[in-house]
Amino acid sequence: MSRLYRDTGVVLRTYKLGEADRIVVLLTAENGKVRAVAKGVRKTNSKFGARLEPMSHVKVLLYRGRELDIVSQAESVESLAPMLASLDRASRGIATLEAVDMIAIERQPNRRLYEMLVGALRTIAAHPSPVVVPAFFWKLLAAEGFRPVTDRCVRCGEAGPLVAFDVGEGGTLCRACRQGTPISAPALALLNDILGGRLNEALAADESSATHEVASLATHAIEHHVERRLRAVAMFEGA
Amino acid sequence: MSASYTPVVQALIEEFGRLPGIGPKSAQRIVFYLLKLPVDDAKRLAKAIVDAKERVQFCDRCFNIADGPLCPVCRDDRRDPTVVCVVEEPRDIVSVERTGEFHGRYHVLMGALNPLDGIGPEHLKVRELVTRIGSDDIEEVILCTNPNTEGEVTALYLARLLKPLGVRVTRLASGLPVGGDLEYADELTLGRALEGRRVVET
Repeated sequence: MSRLYRDTGVVLRTYKLGEADRIVVLLTAENGKVRAVAKGVRKTNSKFGARLEPMSHVKVLLYRGRELDIVSQAESVESLAPMLASLDRASRGIATLEAVDMIAIERQPNRRLYEMLVGALRTIAAHPSPVVVPAFFWKLLAAEGFRPVTDRCVRCGEAGPLVAFDVGEGGTLCRACRQGTPISAPALALLNDILGGRLNEALAADESSATHEVASLATHAIEHHVERRLRAVAMFEGA
Repeated sequence: MSASYTPVVQALIEEFGRLPGIGPKSAQRIVFYLLKLPVDDAKRLAKAIVDAKERVQFCDRCFNIADGPLCPVCRDDRRDPTVVCVVEEPRDIVSVERTGEFHGRYHVLMGALNPLDGIGPEHLKVRELVTRIGSDDIEEVILCTNPNTEGEVTALYLARLLKPLGVRVTRLASGLPVGGDLEYADELTLGRALEGRRVVET
């Protein structure tokens, strides 16, 4: 049996290895999260060039190893150029990578996650709306089976008015049961747009206090789920 | 590791084994080479290490490696003080200097922004760069960070930070390495090379 295999994937992150090599972590369509060594990739005359940078979407030929695979060939599926064209695109792209890296499991195929990531990166490249990353985080949680309750009080079932959101309870709360973070009506409407299939309307929203509210809740919720802090999200806020 | 050597030799082997890229076998080989060396040669090596550790410090102005308060580049009055080249590491200065094309001064960031590893602007010499631009007569800042994702993000961040200060902010061009094959060039590099094409001088 040949140990060479083909797949398509997105580079989630890279680690330096030795003098000129890198370990590349890919989220692939068929094989889940894969860690592979790209030899000589840090040299200027490397055949891989910019193809194995974080956020790259590539077709790869991999050689299966015991611990780490080896990248034999790489070919771009989509250009990385738009992602590195502005700080907003780059930082938002990196924020999605970080969340996916935490959720994806090695060698466990998750085609849906791969497709969601590719979709999110395409959206960021085309139109880096401030809602893309939070929307992606909410969708990610929903896909993982942690879709929050947003149409009634998660505790007593009261239809409204809903005034707070608690990540531990997993949804919105009415005035009587309120705990967690207060949520404004516009923010709740935006959240319902994101989760209710009106993503395009949500992405068209201008930056406002509601988008900030939804964004900080999304980060909070995903951090609660993976039980780790996300580093990339906060870094460029205010920059 | 077997402890069959005398403790003195064993300790030395372990010290060498700590160096990057040197495993127990290489450490052993180096130590046996050193043991065979004349005493003077070994002392010279020891002195070189001690001297370097005691005298080398970072330049007060640009954070290059220096053997005094200022590095050789900052001490040199013939260098153009209006242009500053921002690099990630002191060793990048050596690469730029080797080209012989740059006559300004430098600023070493001591790394690059890496959101995934939690390396933010506060971990780099960014504040010092802004202070320098405020006080020195700097007209142009050349962003000379590595052309990878971290370097590009760092350059984009610095550009956004520095442009309002009224300096010209430029970025190192990307293109094809001389001596390479077009066939193996990646799309991003080739695309940028096309974007930055120039008229052929005849």
